[in-house]
Amino acid sequence: MSETLSGTTHEVSATVMDLPRRDARDKLRGRTRYTVDRVRPDMLHAVLLRSGVPAGRIVRLDVEAARHASGVRAIATGQDAPGLYGIGIADHPLLAIDTIRYHGEPIVAIAAETETEARAALALVELEIEPLAPVLTMGEALAKDARLVHDGWRDYEVLTEGGAREGNIAWEARTTRGDVDAAFARPDVKIVETTIRVGRQSHVPFEPRTAIGSWENGRAHIETSTQVPWTVRNVTGRVLQLPPGRVRVTVPPVGGGFGLKFDATIEPITALLARITGRTVVIENTRQEEMATCLCRENAEILIRSAVTADGEIAGREAVVLMDCGAYGGEQIFLSTMTAHTLGGNYRVGAMRLVSRAVYTNTPPNGAFRACNGVYNTFALERHTDEICQALGLDPLAFRKKNVLGDGDLGATGQVFEGNVLRPMLERMDALRAVTGTVEDKADGRLYGRATTVGTWFVFVGPSAATINMNADGSATLVTSGVEIGSGTMMQSLPQIVAGQLGLTPDQVVVREADTDSAGLDVGVGGGRTTVSIGAASIGAAEELRNKLFGFASELLQTRPEDLELVGGRVAIKGRPGSGIAVSAVVQHAQSVSGPVTGTGSFTGKPVPFMSGCAFGHMIEALEIPVFVVHEAEVAVDPDTGHVEVLAYRVVQDVGRALNRRAIMGQIQGGVVQGLGYALHEAVTIAPDGRIREDGFETYRVPLAGDVVPVVADLYEGAPSSGPLGTKGAGEVPILGVAAAIGCAVANATGKLVRELPLTPPRVLSLLKGRERAPEFPHIAASFEANTLA
Amino acid sequence: MTVTFQLNGERCRFHEDPMTPLLDVLRREKFLTGAKAVCREGFCGACTVHVDGEPMMSCLKPVGLVSGCSVTTIEGLSSGDQALHPLQAAFEAADVVQCGMCFPGMVMSLSAFVRDNPEATRPQIKTAMAGNICRCTGYERIIDAVADYLAVQKAGSQAKEAAHV
Repeated sequence: MSETLSGTTHEVSATVMDLPRRDARDKLRGRTRYTVDRVRPDMLHAVLLRSGVPAGRIVRLDVEAARHASGVRAIATGQDAPGLYGIGIADHPLLAIDTIRYHGEPIVAIAAETETEARAALALVELEIEPLAPVLTMGEALAKDARLVHDGWRDYEVLTEGGAREGNIAWEARTTRGDVDAAFARPDVKIVETTIRVGRQSHVPFEPRTAIGSWENGRAHIETSTQVPWTVRNVTGRVLQLPPGRVRVTVPPVGGGFGLKFDATIEPITALLARITGRTVVIENTRQEEMATCLCRENAEILIRSAVTADGEIAGREAVVLMDCGAYGGEQIFLSTMTAHTLGGNYRVGAMRLVSRAVYTNTPPNGAFRACNGVYNTFALERHTDEICQALGLDPLAFRKKNVLGDGDLGATGQVFEGNVLRPMLERMDALRAVTGTVEDKADGRLYGRATTVGTWFVFVGPSAATINMNADGSATLVTSGVEIGSGTMMQSLPQIVAGQLGLTPDQVVVREADTDSAGLDVGVGGGRTTVSIGAASIGAAEELRNKLFGFASELLQTRPEDLELVGGRVAIKGRPGSGIAVSAVVQHAQSVSGPVTGTGSFTGKPVPFMSGCAFGHMIEALEIPVFVVHEAEVAVDPDTGHVEVLAYRVVQDVGRALNRRAIMGQIQGGVVQGLGYALHEAVTIAPDGRIREDGFETYRVPLAGDVVPVVADLYEGAPSSGPLGTKGAGEVPILGVAAAIGCAVANATGKLVRELPLTPPRVLSLLKGRERAPEFPHIAASFEANTLA
Repeated sequence: MTVTFQLNGERCRFHEDPMTPLLDVLRREKFLTGAKAVCREGFCGACTVHVDGEPMMSCLKPVGLVSGCSVTTIEGLSSGDQALHPLQAAFEAADVVQCGMCFPGMVMSLSAFVRDNPEATRPQIKTAMAGNICRCTGYERIIDAVADYLAVQKAGSQAKEAAHV
């Protein structure tokens, strides 16, 4: 066993396995009860009156007629929940108060005995809105005389200090390292500039956002389909102006999240209506509502410019990234941080400066989607890299091998990267390609292209807690705030980790569903963090348990604790399997002499050094656990129709250590296919009235079985990681490099500059015909400094 | 008008609007929540049930049109503590499930497909899955599991035939 991986050989061999999912059987039989399956006839149904205009002032709102409609039990408006919430900046009301900022914004909530009655009552609400000219694009929002989406932006409570903001710029994160002007002024460099524009991507989780709220003993209890039970608890507290401790959140199995369910927009409404009525209240988004108010992956506009020497040294780089946060800041305020690590990642660069701006518009708010801002920034960076190679006549693969971040290299914020990871991963891709071969013959007369791209992402470390209760039958109950969203971490990696630590089999580890009343703080399931963060907390809890069990067993066995180990359900004497005493007997003994045996553990990320004075407005200045990918695509482009067929797809993924290879392969296949949808045909567009046009399966085209190819993947183990047993998150990152690999492959096939997504047949045909123009951004100034508030 | 049909082997009566989608009768009246209401427009296949043995999307089926028919839902495919349908068992063993919302419909569609197409090739399996969307898995492992299942069934039936010779 390699010395570089953490964990003893024994711990690792007891943990690594292809454990099947314990929830699969019920899911296959239709017995799993997601939140959406828990609606009972005695519940009230709540529906929302949503704005039909993108911007305006509420002139009159009268709900008296609706209040007296048949079956109506409660009506709530913005006045009932005056607290504002948000990330970084508290700018978001639960229900619109006076001002309408997007098409679809909820204004009134009505709870009635049936959904039909509630909808009928919606029609009786008297609402008069004085429309305002909407600000629909970032170009409009950044124009000199633009109307402010938030008149009162100066008055908002600042929840996180440090970001520059002004007017329609909700947040700005900026990095500067080295003398970029000097690098660009060098006589031996060529300057290459790329502009990139990408649209939104809708998550389309099969279970829509659904919440069931009740009021129990003076507290809210919300059962909900969420990835972030603690966020729901805290947001509900804020908007209802309650101590968050008066909110309990429990989470049934979640039918898909992909980042969307970092949201907390409907849960507090159910709590509010439950408080008013004393009844249990359900809100279930219709599919149309779900998609029309989806917190999409944001649309973005990117300008990136590099100064590169003839032999391919990147002397300087600067970039401006505009991220559309929609009507409220939300996740984009946090995600502006990630530009430094994604667009500023992958390569060794002499001097670099980047600015990332979250921009308010009168469009539905955007949110978090699997590998968030990384997907388009990786597309931009990798296309830019290929354009550099083209301009300088360099081989793109050789350029990457020469320039990828390696041991001791500096990131955008001056973070020092540890270990050579990307270069050996590129070599592993060569080896993988040698095994699979390439499939140019399958292009069959169409234009063939292949591309190899790299990507940098991270593990979103942060607080997690775990408690393990040992039971008298020798089993263990793991209590955390983790949520099973489908990725398998709660079903596979966590029981594997706990079993490995305690010498049990995974089926002896009971995993408790998230309940904020029973488990400690957790920042949620997403960001590739669950195995790492809850895993580390669980190992801490197991450590405490182990010491306690060894203490009791030491007395019973008359052996020193340091000579004991947990293996095969026994506290055994080291090196003598089958010796010692059953764990169940130790637990029963302990219960009788000193009470139940429990261990607790907690975890949070550690600060990672970066250069002072480099990063402004960043919520994460340096990556504690970077994660790298190498993706390679082969495509065929039909010159007559512009249709792109993916012929083959290969991945080398940095996983730290693979605890369950088969499960990781499933995540890679699924993540790559979601990325193919984004790269090729998933398009969200905004109509002139500010609404999302693609609000159903007919108009939003997700990948079907016939669109996909088997992804061949090689898991790269052994890169440095502070994660438990050397793990990294494996479920989020598979989507990271797909748009980049496909975009570069299509560029190689067509010989054209690919600068926008998705690559639908009309766009590709237009590229082939020379009609596709590079995006131009008049609202991005030529001089870098003119694009910052500094 | 009362609609009468067989539901998972038992007689079922529905007294309200016969235009009510079968899906709503299953989920809201009978609390059979295995069929999922995902798109309600016939695109995703998550609400698929068998009507007289044929897979149908229950969101598009007014309950009046199943009068006199036999409806089997995912709950009826292997009820109680009965063994799983062998295709369900194959999916479980191959670890293909993720969030799981599409699988009740996927199982109902594909259990009929493998019954009717024991010789199906991989491309034919892919084509058969056109009406069942999955957002998590990227499909290929499901397709592998179906292909492996058919190979095993075929080997089994060949072995049986050989034993009869």
